[in-house]
Amino acid sequence: MYEAPVQRLIDELARLPGIGQKSAQRLAFHILHIEAEDANRLAGAIVAMREQVRLCRRCFNVTDSEECTICRDLRRDSSEVCVVERAQDIVVVERTQEFRGRYHVLGGSISPIEGIGPDQLRMRELVVRVDDEKIVEVIVATNPTVEGDTTALYLARLLKPLGVKVTRLASGLPVGGDLDYADEITLGRALAGRREL
Amino acid sequence: MGLRNDQGIVLRGFPFGEADRVVVLLSPNHGKVRAVAKGVRRTKSRFGGRLEPFTHVDLVLYEGRNLDTITQVSVIEAHAGLRGDLDRVLAAGTMVEVIDAVTQENESSLRAFLLLQRGLSALDDGPRHPDMVAAFLLKAADVVGIAPAFEHCAGCGRTADLTRFSFAAGGVLCERDRTPGAVALRPGLTGYLAGLARSDLANLPDHDAGFSGEAMGVTRRFIEYHLDRRLKSLTVDG
Ligand SMILES: [Zn+2]
Ligand SMILES: [Zn+2]
Repeated sequence: MYEAPVQRLIDELARLPGIGQKSAQRLAFHILHIEAEDANRLAGAIVAMREQVRLCRRCFNVTDSEECTICRDLRRDSSEVCVVERAQDIVVVERTQEFRGRYHVLGGSISPIEGIGPDQLRMRELVVRVDDEKIVEVIVATNPTVEGDTTALYLARLLKPLGVKVTRLASGLPVGGDLDYADEITLGRALAGRREL
Repeated sequence: MGLRNDQGIVLRGFPFGEADRVVVLLSPNHGKVRAVAKGVRRTKSRFGGRLEPFTHVDLVLYEGRNLDTITQVSVIEAHAGLRGDLDRVLAAGTMVEVIDAVTQENESSLRAFLLLQRGLSALDDGPRHPDMVAAFLLKAADVVGIAPAFEHCAGCGRTADLTRFSFAAGGVLCERDRTPGAVALRPGLTGYLAGLARSDLANLPDHDAGFSGEAMGVTRRFIEYHLDRRLKSLTVDG
């Protein structure tokens, strides 16, 4: 045990994902030795983020106003919606510069084994949007895991009756990789999702 | 410490550290095995796809002090079809949850393993039987020694007048032995449940829509009563 103020910070840091006791100690002592001004800036950034950031009322992306910058951008195609599990995933899809529509953040994925059902996710909000925003295509970009697959199948069952096209990101081979390094499951899916040249 | 070989069906996994995953498998001879798969959450990993739930894999494990590390994985049976159909994937989730609940670490679990293997294969291969999960739950009850009696009264052994089902007594009761907590059964339901419990999962008796909801209801309450826990996967509705 360290002096109470030091231990308190170590305990808080150790609660962060991917940080164990050892890393928490290292970070705490690092913060102890930096300039007071730098430590204040770090603390201020945490407080400011929590105070200023909220969820976009349309897509549930993080934003500092009513709607996020993507939803406010009039050049974006409002007839296409890309459904992601977490807000962080939006940044990943944006980096491709291939998608010009809007997003919808579910807040997780269906997990039969963990008992996480559609009611705990923002499914109903999506149904309302499909109706209100004249959405033509819903692109499901959930993870290629059992949970992500289950969520995608559920969305297809939920949305198709509304007359909207539901598609899923293709699973396949990493670009620049070697065919003989791919596992059979990834390769099997790549084969199933092949396209004509 | 050193390397050892094992096989198992992946029950579940959870993130561990930055890019690792802890995978929980059911091995036929060693019960539940927890092992670390390093780096699998990175897209580049060639392990990740093989260590998803429902996959039957062959493993090489490096034995560690607390957790073993997976050094090689090959797929024995992927059950890839399960993941393409909502009802099947939800049913497989319930099978895995029940087996997870009735097995332990370091304890032979051959019967539970074989049941799960047959259950996943039956779901993956044939047309989906609506009462597959109910049949599976009844067989799981048998594996842990709590198979409910359907053909004779749990009180007196009589085979006539079987009108009630008692969760506490673990089976059907006749009119004479009925207890206050025992639920009334529709005539014919006991026969239908007995058929589900008796038949091979790949060859279940013809589905009877009239009994389906009740068969699942009784089975689920029975299992939940004896495991003393709710089956979370059954709260997820397709
Ligand atoms: Zn938005
Ligand atoms: Zn009796």
